[in-house]
Amino acid sequence: MMPPDNNTVILTRDLKKEYELGAETVRALRGVDMQIDKNEFVAIMGPSGSGKSTLLNLIGCLDTPTAGQYWLGGEEVSQLDDNDLARIRNRQIGFVFQTFNLLPRTTALHNVELPLIYAGLPAKQRHEQAKAALDAVGLADRMTHHPNELSGGERQRVAMARALVNQPSLLLADEPTGNLDSATSGEIMDILVSLHDRGETILLVTHERDIAAYSDRLITLRDGVIETDQRHTIGEPVA
Amino acid sequence: MKILDAVILALRTVWAQKLKSFFTLLGVIVGVTFLISVFAVVEGMNRYVQDDFAGSIFGINTITIERIWSGRGGRQDAQTRRRQSRNPDITTADAEALREEIPNIWYMAYNTDRFMPEVRSGQNKRKNVRLIGVTDEYLDLQGWEIVDGRGLTRIDDVRAIRVAVIGDAIAQKLFPDESAIGRDIRLGPFRYRVVGVLKRQGGFIGVIRDAAVVVPWGAFQADFSRRRNVVDGIQIKFRTEEAMVAGQAAAEETLRARHRLRPGQENDFDIETASEVLDAWNTIKNVLLAAGPGLVAVALVVGGIVIMNIMLMSVLERTREIGVRKALGARRVDITRQFLAESATLSTLGAAIGVAIGTGLAKLVDIVAPLPASVPVYAIIMGVALGLLVGIVFGVYPALRASRLDPIVALRYE
Repeated sequence: MMPPDNNTVILTRDLKKEYELGAETVRALRGVDMQIDKNEFVAIMGPSGSGKSTLLNLIGCLDTPTAGQYWLGGEEVSQLDDNDLARIRNRQIGFVFQTFNLLPRTTALHNVELPLIYAGLPAKQRHEQAKAALDAVGLADRMTHHPNELSGGERQRVAMARALVNQPSLLLADEPTGNLDSATSGEIMDILVSLHDRGETILLVTHERDIAAYSDRLITLRDGVIETDQRHTIGEPVA
Repeated sequence: MKILDAVILALRTVWAQKLKSFFTLLGVIVGVTFLISVFAVVEGMNRYVQDDFAGSIFGINTITIERIWSGRGGRQDAQTRRRQSRNPDITTADAEALREEIPNIWYMAYNTDRFMPEVRSGQNKRKNVRLIGVTDEYLDLQGWEIVDGRGLTRIDDVRAIRVAVIGDAIAQKLFPDESAIGRDIRLGPFRYRVVGVLKRQGGFIGVIRDAAVVVPWGAFQADFSRRRNVVDGIQIKFRTEEAMVAGQAAAEETLRARHRLRPGQENDFDIETASEVLDAWNTIKNVLLAAGPGLVAVALVVGGIVIMNIMLMSVLERTREIGVRKALGARRVDITRQFLAESATLSTLGAAIGVAIGTGLAKLVDIVAPLPASVPVYAIIMGVALGLLVGIVFGVYPALRASRLDPIVALRYE
């Protein structure tokens, strides 16, 4: 099979993942074929046990598949070792988590700098880029605050600045509004939409239909395979 | 992640948990404090023994030649005792021969001691006096200072003039209210004129000097000597240790020739140096230096295990953080480095605190006790290096544990 063209961000072929759970083999993913192009805003939904977490881990290069192939930004990553996966995560992927996952005891600025530290950038450049990223999410005046001095929405915005600071080719958001009230959720989704408008490629995992409605394509999973995959207009209620 | 970043991060983490860090470091602090203290005391004792103690008994770079008396040490068998009783006396002729043969002599003197039941002046008397007949360089050689009057001269010696230099305790006793200089003292039937008073030495060692009456060799020979031209000891002082070692060899050779000893035959005389006292101290020092590191090692190992435990706890507590770091692109080596830097920084900090406390203790000892305790630079370097080593050795396991965490599991960790 040929590697994907330049416009393709994610391409998977017959992606499978099995776990040994005691004597039993759990087949979490049973063969997923998926292509996501540049500047798509894709939501993934599915009941628990449908394999969406497993798929997210594989796409986020936190795990490797049991079988099948996965290209990210033109590079086949399904067979890479630990160090190369770390490099891919650092350069290609920006993570936004449900629980924000900011480091406590350190400032917003330092949190945003983390990916740049692992990219090996010198301190001065790190500061500048991190400041710019925080500025972009409207938190220029919160840089020296610790996470516990910030509201939930502010924390998630710091996390988004951190996800974007390395200019990744893919933004992975795992239930980004799961810990937020509906007003703040709206704010965060508005930011995601504006990032999408700016040209970012976004993969969003959620179990809320009204959150999924912000995307322009919805993939549903069931029992480890793709059940539906349909494009829709942003804001239009999803079936 | 660069090493410097890792160290800065480590300092930040340590600072964020000051109290916990301090207790974590207690073992290392105690270990290094102990290390520094032991070295400071040993170094201080060393200087004290070399400069003051040994110096005051034998003098630095001085050899003393004496006859070996039978029964000395009490462990010899009858045959050895008999042989030793036939040992020849050391004589003034021996002394003059040594003066000819030994190069680089700085001072040379010989003496004979005699116990005197008392010395008196008018109604005042002092019992149990050590009378020493000496040649003119004796006082200088021994480093016995004169606080009042003068010392003994070559002319006193040659003309057998009845003059005396007396110890402080005798001066106090015989002339409590006035200067002793120019006054007469009675030694048995003889009248001697006091020309000098020795500086008080005091203390345990000082008993000998402070209760001494020192008179010229010539007068001593005439008035008190039982056997003419026999000396109790010959002292020769050199400027350097090398000269002393060479002089000791030359003295041995000269006396063996004079006493007609065949090769392989034992010396029938004794050559003592301050190094014998130093040897005794060295034994004590070696015990200290051997036991010290053992105790230090125990403290450091205990400290290291505590650090390892705390680091393992820290890894567990920060599982989520490790997961986040990995998700953001940290490689295994980055995580390993981070935790290693943390444990190494922690324990080096502990070592630094230990050095500070140890140095403080040494200063305290220096001020409070008569020991000149001083902290040698190599002990400081060693202390800090050991701290660093402990941190690295005991940090490896927790750091590897951290680096091997699965990011998915770590991110889900509550």
